[in-house]
Amino acid sequence: MTGITHTTALWYASRATGVVTLVLLTAVVVLGMLVNRQGRLPGLPRFAVTGLHRNISLLSVVFLAIHVLTAIVDPYVTIGLAATVIPFASPYKPFWLGLGALSLDLIAALILTSLARGRMSRRAWRSIHWLAYAAWPLAVLHSIGSNTDSRSGVMLMVLVGCVLAAGTALAWRLSRMAREVPRPRRAAAILTQMSAPVPLRPASPGRTHETGGHQVTATTAGQL
Amino acid sequence: MTGCLTLPFPAPVPAAGDYVLTGPDGGLHRLLPADGAAQVDLTAHLARYGALPHRAEPRRIIAEVEAAGLTGRGGAAFPAYRKLTAAANARPTPVVVGNGAEGEPASSKDRSLLWISPHLVLDGLQIAAATTGSRTAVLYAPRNERLHQRLALAIAERAAVRMDTAAVELRDAPGRFLAGEESALASHLTGLPALPGYRPARGLPRLGSGQPVLVQNVETLAHLALIARYGARWFRTAGTEEEPGSMLATLHHADGRMGVVEVPLGIPVAQLLGPREPVQAVLIGGYHGAWLPADQAATLPLANAALGPLGATVGAGVVAVLPADRCGLGETARVARYLALESAGQCGPCFNGLPRIAAALDHLARPRPDRRARADLDRWAGLVEGRGACHHPDGSVRFIRSALRVFAAETALHEQGRCSGTNPQPFLPLPSSPPLAHTDWS
Repeated sequence: MTGITHTTALWYASRATGVVTLVLLTAVVVLGMLVNRQGRLPGLPRFAVTGLHRNISLLSVVFLAIHVLTAIVDPYVTIGLAATVIPFASPYKPFWLGLGALSLDLIAALILTSLARGRMSRRAWRSIHWLAYAAWPLAVLHSIGSNTDSRSGVMLMVLVGCVLAAGTALAWRLSRMAREVPRPRRAAAILTQMSAPVPLRPASPGRTHETGGHQVTATTAGQL
Repeated sequence: MTGCLTLPFPAPVPAAGDYVLTGPDGGLHRLLPADGAAQVDLTAHLARYGALPHRAEPRRIIAEVEAAGLTGRGGAAFPAYRKLTAAANARPTPVVVGNGAEGEPASSKDRSLLWISPHLVLDGLQIAAATTGSRTAVLYAPRNERLHQRLALAIAERAAVRMDTAAVELRDAPGRFLAGEESALASHLTGLPALPGYRPARGLPRLGSGQPVLVQNVETLAHLALIARYGARWFRTAGTEEEPGSMLATLHHADGRMGVVEVPLGIPVAQLLGPREPVQAVLIGGYHGAWLPADQAATLPLANAALGPLGATVGAGVVAVLPADRCGLGETARVARYLALESAGQCGPCFNGLPRIAAALDHLARPRPDRRARADLDRWAGLVEGRGACHHPDGSVRFIRSALRVFAAETALHEQGRCSGTNPQPFLPLPSSPPLAHTDWS
């Protein structure tokens, strides 16, 4: 591997930010599926999962921007500004960069609609948000195809790791969906779970409500 | 006591069968007949109230309603003229809905009004449609075959003489607590389950097609029909300066009797109770209302101005006493459980919080409760309040908090392993088995 010189710096920067963007997007997708199915992360209240999903998605935009800009500015290949948003218009690797451009367009739609979420109907926002399931695989294919050294070594491990993480999250999401409690029965399900056997009359004073008391207090505010 | 009449219409909730309608001293008979006629047909209705002044200028009717100070009788007491104004300015032309869903199990006044004086409600529906320019109107009433037939007959009576400009469609309301909530109602009319919207509504709720909906409680419409005929000054001859007019109230007495009465707003609560009723507390405003100690309640008028500072509201006019031989915590725990089951399951704080609150309250209602249950209850109540898209969590927490205040002495007794309640029979009315299937919202 050659060192970083003034001619290769932009090339390395573009590749590095591309890899970081892919990892961040994978995290966003995994967290998004967690948010969608009301999942939790150890030690975090539920709203923090939502916050993490939002903040990492904004962070990934920063890396995505650097990734795209450095690729344009890099004199080694000619891509052009238009080709970063217009799919398959790039003179260099038109197909694989085209997938990246498509992914970029979808991500832009996701971010912009989420920023304007308060002014949109919930249904419109939701249907656009489904595009995430297209944007992420496109980004993965783009990084496989345009990255010549992603077929071995650390880069391969990163790729495999991302695909495994997203695949696991998807499997979890689908299984949660299959076990979903219909909305009007959710409160009943929790109530049944809460009011597990409580003795009606104390058998002897002092050791009365161990079961019941535990059932009630074992829950934390984070679950609300 | 004024006239006493037996209603042949069995209330779907509670399933106690027929009930008795009695008037307290100072009771009124604006909406319900004084002579005890169980059903007012169109002829009798027109003979009593006269023809409906149909061709009045919409703006003048709205101005008259504003001068009358009529507020929504469904519980929120929202000024009726403001909704009418919003509907008159709304585009496209709204559909007008008479809301008789009455999901509150302790209230029977809307179905009583619909059963006894449906034409007054239908008059009000026509007036509201005229002020907004609507050609279609909906009457949203509890799912009950006999009531449905009765209302269909009344609508047919009017259609036969072509007295109405807006066609009225009869729609059944699912028997859920929140089925009458405005956005739930709009969702139901769209053909979806009657679930409240995810977001607090801005302005009028809308159907799926985008058509706005003007929702008025059926009693509000009946008052509207009388204001259109007799004017604001007449309306204000009952009630207080701030809260004018009369209202229907549902009374639950200590001996188990239930009654629907019409009273002026501001009537002393003491006048609604029997002279020597063995009462320890009074629930005002229903299951989203508040408990008050009996001696305090007896000094108050039935008006929001007086009840508000104490955390209570007139609501939809439920006044239920707690007999001296019942445990207030036990009764509240039963209702809290019901309220939790009536969560639409949409907002996390509501469907996660209310069941936990109900379970903790149930725990406090038992002998020697774990002390942590009380702390949990306070914490959860705070976490739930103000965090639902509709008013269900807020109203439920208001009701539960009032119980913890009023029955503080009872809580202390329970900690010692004792209970003041000697009668284990449930008292407050609840549906015998809360409907939980998904289809019950549609």
